[in-house]
Amino acid sequence: MKRPSLALRCLVLLYVAALLGVPLVFVFQQAFSHGWAALWAALHDHAMDEAILLTAKVVVLAVPLNVFFGIGASLWIVRHPSRISHVLDVLIDIPLAISPIVVGLILELAYAQNGWFGSTFSKLGWKVMFSLPGIVVASIFVSLPLVSRQVIPLLREIGDHQEQTAATLGAKPTRIFFTITLRSIAWACAYGVTLTLARVIGEYGAVLIVSGNIAMLTQTLTLNIGANFENFNGYQGFVGALLLALVSVLVLVVIGVARHRLERKRHDSFA
Amino acid sequence: MTVSLDGVSKSFGHLLVLDDITDVFAEGEMTALLGPSGSGKSTLLRIIAGLTPLDSGRVLLSGRDVTKAPARDRHIGFCFQDYAPFRHLSVFGNIAYGLKVQRIPRAQRKAQVDELLGLVRLEEFADRYPHQLSGGQRQRMALARALAIKPDVLLLDEPFGALDAQVRGELRSWVRSLQRELGITTILVTHDQSEAMEIADRLVILNDGKIEQAGKPSFVYDHPATDFVAGFLGPITTLWGIDYRPHELELALDGDEGEKGTVTEVVRLGFEVRVVLTNQTSESTWVQLTHDQAKALNPVVGQKFVVRPRAQNLVHNDATSREARPID
Repeated sequence: MKRPSLALRCLVLLYVAALLGVPLVFVFQQAFSHGWAALWAALHDHAMDEAILLTAKVVVLAVPLNVFFGIGASLWIVRHPSRISHVLDVLIDIPLAISPIVVGLILELAYAQNGWFGSTFSKLGWKVMFSLPGIVVASIFVSLPLVSRQVIPLLREIGDHQEQTAATLGAKPTRIFFTITLRSIAWACAYGVTLTLARVIGEYGAVLIVSGNIAMLTQTLTLNIGANFENFNGYQGFVGALLLALVSVLVLVVIGVARHRLERKRHDSFA
Repeated sequence: MTVSLDGVSKSFGHLLVLDDITDVFAEGEMTALLGPSGSGKSTLLRIIAGLTPLDSGRVLLSGRDVTKAPARDRHIGFCFQDYAPFRHLSVFGNIAYGLKVQRIPRAQRKAQVDELLGLVRLEEFADRYPHQLSGGQRQRMALARALAIKPDVLLLDEPFGALDAQVRGELRSWVRSLQRELGITTILVTHDQSEAMEIADRLVILNDGKIEQAGKPSFVYDHPATDFVAGFLGPITTLWGIDYRPHELELALDGDEGEKGTVTEVVRLGFEVRVVLTNQTSESTWVQLTHDQAKALNPVVGQKFVVRPRAQNLVHNDATSREARPID
């Protein structure tokens, strides 16, 4: 194949630089603009630290739940297809199709104190909206398809002959799941987990609505960054953005490795 | 161990795949389930293994009813056509899988796997991964993995289907001698009649979910119970409206007891020579000659011969010769 012309290559690089490179460099430059001491102090900003802690809590709760659901739904859809599982297959994609703001509003309608289930929950003393559970539910909702969309095609491709062979060798279903199925989809899961992680950490719209955005209480890191910019505290905002950017770079590296491994797996598939 | 099927039926939706199959696969015997695609042979194999539930009937292993037993409790080795290697495990890990399930201690496990590696001649490949193996090596690995649990019965689904012709021939005779050596009851599924004739002690020919005929390969070949079996196992030709194997006819330069015909075509296929003759009423018959026979007669197009049967005609539409074994 002919190499693309020099002009075209320059155009592509410029495009990527303008969209990704320059803003990223700008974030770093702003965050370091007041020197190390100021950066150190900003990193110890009380509201931001609380926000980081909350985001970490959300990640710890939402990511495993999403992986659990994603693998379960994928197995159901691929291995036991039925009318209900077909409906599920379609429903899983809804979060990709609707705006996070709408997700937030739907959840508020459902879980607010005068909402559909919210009234029942508040009688039981459970507070979903404007607290951690609401943020977790919103995070799971927006990242719902990210694991299963990686796992489903791989499950289809590998088929069920390996699992059935393991059964004839005497293995029980749980053993087959852990030694054959999970091993086969491990890298697809890892890829899905990093996508989920990035999405949960970076989510803004849905979380903004369900959390109420109360500093020190229900403010995640992204909300904290937004609030700092709105309150003319731009420097603090850039420090938060720097942290998010570093997480993104880390996620990109992990995704790169996972995807590489996944593609190698696919190339290893047999004629 | 004997495998008995008692009135096994199976439908997928409205499609009846197996229709009241009753047969017995004897201890130590190698049986080929032979039939065209869609005849239900693979489904029957999966039912014996417990991988597909049946609609009605029973599966018995040496008299023990395993119809409702899951695959893991049947102690039956199964090899898929695609060999289904565990991709993330080495050759050693693949073969050791069943032994690990049985909680056999590590040292003993290693000894057993090493022995199996020797049996399937993969000693050098213990640390390789399936994608680093050739098709034939993968097949031998799958066989060793199935044999590791010392199964009572071995089931092979189209075991040589995905291999090229040369490897297929070698593996076929190797599998045959291995099976004899181990004396394990084996059922293999194939759509290749020459493979079935070569490898099996007994053929079971399936068509449309029914047993068309069963018996020793040579017997079934010479005494097919139905037109389907006759045509499926080998070429047939007609003389005086009766079916014959083309090699069961002979040519003579003259004689009374035969049909006079003119040679219209001579095809040489290495050892075999096909001679097509047409009689006065334009009915054609073809005769299969060996190279030597053809040399002696030297048939050429336009030459006149007498065609006559060498042996008794072939097809018996006789239900009693179908030979599917009843259950005691």
